[in-house]
Amino acid sequence: MSVRALIASLIVAVPVALAGQSSKNTAPESFRANGQITGAAAGAATEMVFHIDKYTPDADHDALVKALKDGGNAAFLDALRKAPKVGTLTIGKRSIDIRWARTRPEGSDHRRVAFVTDKPAFFAGAGAVDAKPTAGYDLAAVEFTIDSVGLGSGTMAPAAKVKAGGPTGVEVDDYSGKRITLTTVTRNLKK
Amino acid sequence: MRLPTVRSIRALAVVTAALFAAAASLGAAPQSKKKGGGPETFNGKAKVATGTATGDAYFTIQIDHYTPEKDLKAMEQALQTGGSDGFVQALRKAPVAGHLKVGDKSFTIRWARQKPTEKGRVISIVTDAPVYFVGAGLPDAQSRAGFDVAVAQMNIDTSGLGEGSIALAAKVKPGGQAGVEIQDYASEPVKLVSIMRVIS
Repeated sequence: MSVRALIASLIVAVPVALAGQSSKNTAPESFRANGQITGAAAGAATEMVFHIDKYTPDADHDALVKALKDGGNAAFLDALRKAPKVGTLTIGKRSIDIRWARTRPEGSDHRRVAFVTDKPAFFAGAGAVDAKPTAGYDLAAVEFTIDSVGLGSGTMAPAAKVKAGGPTGVEVDDYSGKRITLTTVTRNLKK
Repeated sequence: MRLPTVRSIRALAVVTAALFAAAASLGAAPQSKKKGGGPETFNGKAKVATGTATGDAYFTIQIDHYTPEKDLKAMEQALQTGGSDGFVQALRKAPVAGHLKVGDKSFTIRWARQKPTEKGRVISIVTDAPVYFVGAGLPDAQSRAGFDVAVAQMNIDTSGLGEGSIALAAKVKPGGQAGVEIQDYASEPVKLVSIMRVIS
């Protein structure tokens, strides 16, 4: 089992980095992403759509951070599921609710987007005969960087648990031990 | 709960036919002693594509020897009298015929047979354990119970190249026109492409 500081900017940077979300309100907005995961002898790819209706306001964000710090993963999950839905992650015909989403500027013409769903998207590697139990990996976490044109890349933990700890204060333990690489993320043009 | 589709069963009907229904014609030919008999090794790539994802994996099938007719008949008999469980029990008692390797994992083949065709031959194998449960990573995945073997078929031409299909986790059941049905755990069939017989 690997513990990764996958979404360091998730909750971590609450007070500093994400506290001041982009002054330009970009939501609602949607993104199309290609995800890939590879191993020594195999690989898989999928396409996803992230639709964000709105980014999580500071009050709701603060409540989630407090839940994690005070009660760990279980409290965080409970608070997350009580938080208002702010978007959807869609893979094929399946959609999962996003209940935490933040964005912040990065550099002169990029911004970072991170979000968490209230259920796991899929358990990468769970089809193996000797796969470990999936219990406890109750959410999915995504993080990507997008430029001003609307192109970017990122990573995804399709089944994860969040815990307090590590140098950033938050660690994401992903089921597979290996992140999905979002090789291309494209912001959909608004109609 | 996602159930195996009729399509997935139909997709493997051809495997079924090659495996069991052709037993009589194969029985006439002493397989492993003819040209193209074991031991032999094949390399290839398994591909699966669903509506939402695609996956590839490299594999090696090493056949030490093709299963003798008496062992094939014993397994067929076990299937007819004991159903899926009877077949699996008989399969696991059969001698090792080879191995299917994916990455650093190796699965024992206990059923291997070949049948000549116009363009070469068709090779069928059954492993004594499932190889991978395609689709089991979904939160609402169906139960794995009863999917205890993997079944593959390869069409190999005279130059040693070919393609085929595999049910990476399958349930072998009595029934249907051929007397045997193969139920695939995966909702979509896994194709075997770019198969190449290794020149020894």
